[in-house]
Amino acid sequence: MKRRTFLQLSGMTAASALLAGCQSKNEKLIPYLIPPDEGVTPGRASYYASSCSFCPAGCGILVRVSEGRAKKIEGNPEHPVNRGRLCARGQALLQELYHPDRVQQPLKRSGARGSGEFRKISWAEGLSLLTAKLKELQREHATDGLAMLTPQLSGALSTLVSTFMRSFGSPRHLSCELLAADWLRLAGRQSFGQPGLPFYDLAETRYLLSFGADFVESHLSPVQYGNAFGRMRQGRDTVRGHFTYVGGRMSLTGASADRWMPARPGSEGALALGMARLILDESLFDKAALAANGLRPETVLGRLQAYDLPHVAELTGLAQEMIAEVAREFATTRPSLAMAGEAVAFQTNGPESVRAIQLLNLLAGNLNRPGGVYPAGSIVGSLAGPENSFAALLALVESMRTGRIKLALIKGDPRYGTPPATGFQQALDQVPFIVSFSTLLDDTALQADLILPDHAGLESWGDVVPLAGSRHMVYGLMQPVVTPLHDTRQFPDVLLAVASGLGGTLAAALPHKSCLEFIKGTISKRVGGHKKGRNFETQWVELLRRGGQFDTDKEFGKGYRWAAASQLPDPARPRFAGDEKLFPLHLQVYSSTSFHDGRGAPLPWLQQLPDPISTAVWDSWIEINPKTAASLGISHGDLVEVASPRGVLRLPAVIYPGIRPDLVAIPLGQGHRGGGRYANDRGVNPLELLAMVEGSEQQAAWNATRVRLTRISAKGELVTAGHPQGSYRSDLIGI
Amino acid sequence: MEKLTSPYKWGMVIDLDRCTGCGACVVACQAENNVGICEKHEIAEGRNMHWLRIERFWVGEYPDVRVRFLPVMCQHCHDAPCEPVCPVYASYHNPDGLNGQVYNRCVGTRYCGNNCPYAVRVFNFYPHQWPKPLDNQLSADITVRSRGVMEKCSFCIQRIRRAKEDAKGEGRLIRDGEVQTACAQTCPAEALVFGNLADPHSRVARLARSPRRFQLLEHLGSHPSVYYLKGGGREHV
Repeated sequence: MKRRTFLQLSGMTAASALLAGCQSKNEKLIPYLIPPDEGVTPGRASYYASSCSFCPAGCGILVRVSEGRAKKIEGNPEHPVNRGRLCARGQALLQELYHPDRVQQPLKRSGARGSGEFRKISWAEGLSLLTAKLKELQREHATDGLAMLTPQLSGALSTLVSTFMRSFGSPRHLSCELLAADWLRLAGRQSFGQPGLPFYDLAETRYLLSFGADFVESHLSPVQYGNAFGRMRQGRDTVRGHFTYVGGRMSLTGASADRWMPARPGSEGALALGMARLILDESLFDKAALAANGLRPETVLGRLQAYDLPHVAELTGLAQEMIAEVAREFATTRPSLAMAGEAVAFQTNGPESVRAIQLLNLLAGNLNRPGGVYPAGSIVGSLAGPENSFAALLALVESMRTGRIKLALIKGDPRYGTPPATGFQQALDQVPFIVSFSTLLDDTALQADLILPDHAGLESWGDVVPLAGSRHMVYGLMQPVVTPLHDTRQFPDVLLAVASGLGGTLAAALPHKSCLEFIKGTISKRVGGHKKGRNFETQWVELLRRGGQFDTDKEFGKGYRWAAASQLPDPARPRFAGDEKLFPLHLQVYSSTSFHDGRGAPLPWLQQLPDPISTAVWDSWIEINPKTAASLGISHGDLVEVASPRGVLRLPAVIYPGIRPDLVAIPLGQGHRGGGRYANDRGVNPLELLAMVEGSEQQAAWNATRVRLTRISAKGELVTAGHPQGSYRSDLIGI
Repeated sequence: MEKLTSPYKWGMVIDLDRCTGCGACVVACQAENNVGICEKHEIAEGRNMHWLRIERFWVGEYPDVRVRFLPVMCQHCHDAPCEPVCPVYASYHNPDGLNGQVYNRCVGTRYCGNNCPYAVRVFNFYPHQWPKPLDNQLSADITVRSRGVMEKCSFCIQRIRRAKEDAKGEGRLIRDGEVQTACAQTCPAEALVFGNLADPHSRVARLARSPRRFQLLEHLGSHPSVYYLKGGGREHV
């Protein structure tokens, strides 16, 4: 230490001793020689606006980047869907980018299929392999031997893929996701004559009635509806919105409800119609709304005769008084709104049950009004998205099984995310050549012959049309926020390169040099940048800075009314796979907050995030009512065997007071064979248990399987972050 | 209560009527503060490193059962039980009313963790790994704590420092809403609100005057900086 420094320091110490009288005790005790905030050095970071690619909700994000590395993902405050907020999954997208097990360059299979042995190849070799395979199909005039499997795409990528397939001459483009909202589009077409998705004005409603719609976890646009829920509760000075949840399992969404109605699985539609009948009977309905939709109360009432209160109470297993009370509250507390969710839709009578809930909205006059439901809150018409991609999946399985498919291009992980009861996995093995575009060696990529790894979401260009999160047309942009880490290429860029390699009509239809050029072309048309006198480059930079185009006045249609031709809904008795005596319990699979349909499992933050209700981490579990568990001799954390007509799984038990005694539930998302070090061989995949219901094979009825439980041992190896036995009393509040 | 030596008194209000328990705050906190990734065995030993946890309580029995969520992070007590027990002054009270933790003073006695009634201090029992290239995500604003060090919620002190520097450069005080913790920023339902309780007009101060407010373990007299607002209208249980 220099003499000068020493004198300065001793002077400072003396001065602080003199000043001690006016300072707090702590400050006196700790000399300022060691700055207390050491280790905290706030730096300057840059923020890039982009869009979240995790789920179809398409929230806007801002990525904090310093020294060329992405550090944190935050919500984009200007984005109308998520308003600066973001869910756990969106924030974990960073770990998709920096995942230690990413595929770093193209791979070609070297061992047997599924062995996981691959040889590293160059992009030139990979692309020429793919081009050669496609040329072979063209030469043999068997272009329909090409199948393309993708998740449900939006924006320019959707156009690009469909142009590619059309120009190549194959109709087999399947956009299929387990949790896709096809059922809602289908119900929209049947009831309102258009296949758009609804927008629920949750923030302004006074009475929310959710039939299994888990909008906090995964339903349509979780951040938008989570935010709207907060405003519904406490955003208004004098009104606190009431929330009633219907469903056999109290989900995370249901946990926030004021009242829980544990209806028997598959009886939700009957419950909605029972309420509708009571509302008509007691003349609580909105007369103007009925007239405007061309319905006569007498006719409707006549059709609903079968749904009298005692009968509905028996079907649902709920008390008559409770049903009547909720029906009256729903009809008299306006505006009110009813939502239908996956738990209802994935039953054999799902489509009709969803329509019954729509009818309930109509009777209470909730259509097209603030605080109510807008039947078309998203794109309608040809760009709306599929209405029954499950039927398309089965058709594709059939073509694969009979050997008509020679080449499959797969984006996403359908091998994991498709229930084996469809026969998809075996059929895929029949395909001679499989190309995967996965960023990780996931279950599909492990079976592939060629892997052409895609960029991570944060390295990609793209555009996103958010799914049903706003009543206005919103258009989000994705831009790379870091330079690509590995030798990967974007999926659309690969398609464009292949198109130019093939030449002919394909190259003519897709002359673009890169995905960026394609997207710029799309946007130029959208903002009118091609018009004279407007500088598109300036507009483009501004759009990138903001993260997309949000200020459009274009509202989605609000004139939609009950289609005159449509029949009134009439849900049949639900049917289930499995004999009631052999398999006494219903099984529900649900989307957990962490994993969605399984795509979150490779990310360690999401594995470590305790499930909000069971607080389990890094695992799968089965939720059992305490009474049922006691009768089977099962206690918390025991290993149990779940048997269905389709398969058998072993997993730990969680005693769950919020579930019907005749129902058990398993979260989706675990049980990957691949997916990197954090996901593989962890937990079980409940899709293996699901069976097809006889007579409803063309329908995605994933909550219609029955199961049987047997206790195996006390060693379930369940780890919970919270109180292991489940806390019944608060230690912290003291109430 | 100690005398205010700063124009700021950072505090938070958590509206339990808005909170859905979704866990976005937990991941936001982990991402912002370089919190270690814990494997299953660590959590099994009760050594989870999350600075912010969501407590879940079951109330009642089927079918009249309810779940309540309670996000719990460091309460930044003004009479903090953790502070006087530290032999090396690693846990100290800063002039803004925050419970600071100086990692390079900490020698790992764990007295503070023992004394904390809210169990929000977490100790690095293990060295935590960020296998390459996962370490690229680590924020340079704050340190990565090594094994043997106690750590805890700091109300994102690096964000407060940045905002202070900005404000100082412009010769003003930090405006309401200018600085947010990572958890409050991301909360989809806007259940968490962060701000300056010393400013009676700030959003957090106005909410903290709500008749629904309560504090955790109020009877201990630790005077936390975090206020909770009771959920209302849970009439059916």
